[in-house]
Amino acid sequence: MKKIIAVLMAGMMTASVFAGCGGSGGSSGSSGSSASDTQSSADDGGAQVKDANLVDVSMFGEEDNISLKVWCAHKATGLVEKQIEEFKKAYPEKKFENIEVVAVGEGDAGTQMLNDASTAADVFSFASDQLNKLVGAKVIAPVAFTKAVTEMNAETTVEAGTLDGTLYAYPQTNDNGYYLVYDKSVVSEDKTGKLEDILAACKDAGKKFIFDSGNGFYSCTYAFTAGVKINGLEKDGVTQKFTEYDEEEAVKTLQAFSKLMHDYSGTYTSLDVAQIASGFSTGTLGAGIDGSWNTAADKDALKDNFGAAKLPTINVDGTDKQLVSLFGYKYIGVNAASKFPASAQILAYYLAGETCQQQRAEELGWGPSNKNVQQMDVVTKSDIQQAIKAQSENACVQVNIATTFWDPMANLGNKLIADKTDPSDADYFKKLLQETIANIRDEG
Amino acid sequence: MIKSYKFRRRIANFFIYILLAILGIIWISPFVYLVLHSFRQESMTTVPYLIPHEWTLNNYIELFNVSGSSSINFPRWFLNTLVVAIFSCMISTISVLAVSYTFSRLRFGARKKLMNVAMILGMFPGFMTMIAIYYLLKAMGLNQNLIALVICYSSGAGLGFQISKGFFDTIPRALDEAATIDGATKNQIFWRIILPMSKPIVVYTVLTSFIGPWCDFILAKIIMGDKRELYTVAIGLQSMVSAEFINSYYKQFLAGSVLVAIPITTLFLIMQRYYVEGVTAGGVKG
Repeated sequence: MKKIIAVLMAGMMTASVFAGCGGSGGSSGSSGSSASDTQSSADDGGAQVKDANLVDVSMFGEEDNISLKVWCAHKATGLVEKQIEEFKKAYPEKKFENIEVVAVGEGDAGTQMLNDASTAADVFSFASDQLNKLVGAKVIAPVAFTKAVTEMNAETTVEAGTLDGTLYAYPQTNDNGYYLVYDKSVVSEDKTGKLEDILAACKDAGKKFIFDSGNGFYSCTYAFTAGVKINGLEKDGVTQKFTEYDEEEAVKTLQAFSKLMHDYSGTYTSLDVAQIASGFSTGTLGAGIDGSWNTAADKDALKDNFGAAKLPTINVDGTDKQLVSLFGYKYIGVNAASKFPASAQILAYYLAGETCQQQRAEELGWGPSNKNVQQMDVVTKSDIQQAIKAQSENACVQVNIATTFWDPMANLGNKLIADKTDPSDADYFKKLLQETIANIRDEG
Repeated sequence: MIKSYKFRRRIANFFIYILLAILGIIWISPFVYLVLHSFRQESMTTVPYLIPHEWTLNNYIELFNVSGSSSINFPRWFLNTLVVAIFSCMISTISVLAVSYTFSRLRFGARKKLMNVAMILGMFPGFMTMIAIYYLLKAMGLNQNLIALVICYSSGAGLGFQISKGFFDTIPRALDEAATIDGATKNQIFWRIILPMSKPIVVYTVLTSFIGPWCDFILAKIIMGDKRELYTVAIGLQSMVSAEFINSYYKQFLAGSVLVAIPITTLFLIMQRYYVEGVTAGGVKG
């Protein structure tokens, strides 16, 4: 009797496993076919677009009782929820069962999409450097309203969202980078132009200057400023290409950085950017290089003393060289496996549209990619937005970056600031630069 | 001679205690930091000194002050973990003890082979198969579900039978034989004779299987994905120090970490006496 029960139980368990397989297989098949439907309508152009936010309701096609999931940054969830309410009102003909907003950061979205696209969001925000992976894994659907989106947004943001002639994502922001934040009571505004002045002011006040040199995202500034800039990928799609550069000049620049770090050792510190807002609030910090997404926290900590500017210059052999940073954009993408592909496209179009971008610029301080919003007071009259914009003109675009890029760059920063490094030893820096490039290109 | 021996011993002890004290301080300092700074008022993230300047309970209060659809919901995570821990603790305790009893008392064809297989399987870390586990659970429609966590934590538990089996081996077989002569079945022997005599090892099994869900990160993370309301404390706390949240939640993270220690510590203190007995007793082969 017991044996019979045991066999029965085992049978049931196996059956339930296979039953589950059948079900999910079927649904993934159907969503696959509907994804290709969107692709066929992808090049329809701007004919169905009503304005900068809405499209013709016929674009929904057969879809009704729509339920979608949206991923956006934690800080934006409240606003996006409000925007989605507006979205629902804008299409009274359609019934929306549930549009869920989940906090998944732009930095993390790409990884989560690749983990399992079928449980991921239908509409998600992500940073520009993830586009390669997403397209490579075929989890992102091309933009359905290419013509309208191209016309509305700044050229650079559209360009960075395009791969092999197809626009894959709706540009959302034009601000994903870092810039100089400073305490006006420590560093006066006229001194923010030169790195040397900033460090001297911080040292005089007994305060620190934070530049996270142990993180490739920030420390690549050293290489870029030295003239070693990235230039897309080789034909194999994985090896980083660099622009032509003058090695002697590059070495001199690295030496200049290292000299500053050692002259101002104790002032020039390499700490995580999370320490910047914290340092301002405890009054131990004079200035720092911080990301645009931390602006609100920095501002809270400094109140009226908060100052923002583009990155300073560094003096190399008598000439002031502008620091060159890494700069990216944020996009809204549509999951290729979405069960409501057309609705997801329409929602993405709305969230990346003019009104929503304006609201995010006003309430969250996000720099817009939309050309019209860029001309509005909220952008043109904001010091922060202007600082970010000025820095974006001195930056490498964060797109087509090899996965091997980050660690060697972090290593470069760590070596520059290390105590035992001798800033006058040119051969050392020449070797360091060559090794860094070789490691990034995986030739080492 | 005796005096000098005493003297030498004192000197030796002195250095040993110094060494132990240093090691003790190193070991305990993270906990001291954690507790002290969970009561810190000033600054947002870390500060370069140990003793906070202003003290507050706010970090704890805010942790439990969750507004409607907030992404950070510590009380809910705490409850999730507790529920998962209780259920997986019950299931895995029973399965571990049953497997141990079987290998200790019953004799059947593949006994030795099965024990070897279990030993080899036990050498691979559990998360090695996480992708496969994820897709299996998904096929059963169990992904992003607390039941999935209970299954993950308890289904493989039987493989960890070695210590309990060692303990059961020390209980004289004469007891089993006497019970058999009195007409008891194997099942009755297990529940009525062996278990009441094995309190230490039962406690040990309960403790280890209860702690598991509080510490596991990898499996919970991959199963839950973006379902924030079903997070366990481990992934929840980690998400509080991710780039997006760290500026506003760092101190609450410290407070949360202190609170997580409470259920485990309480259980541990209550059962500590048996715990030591259990581990050592299981290690001795009779």
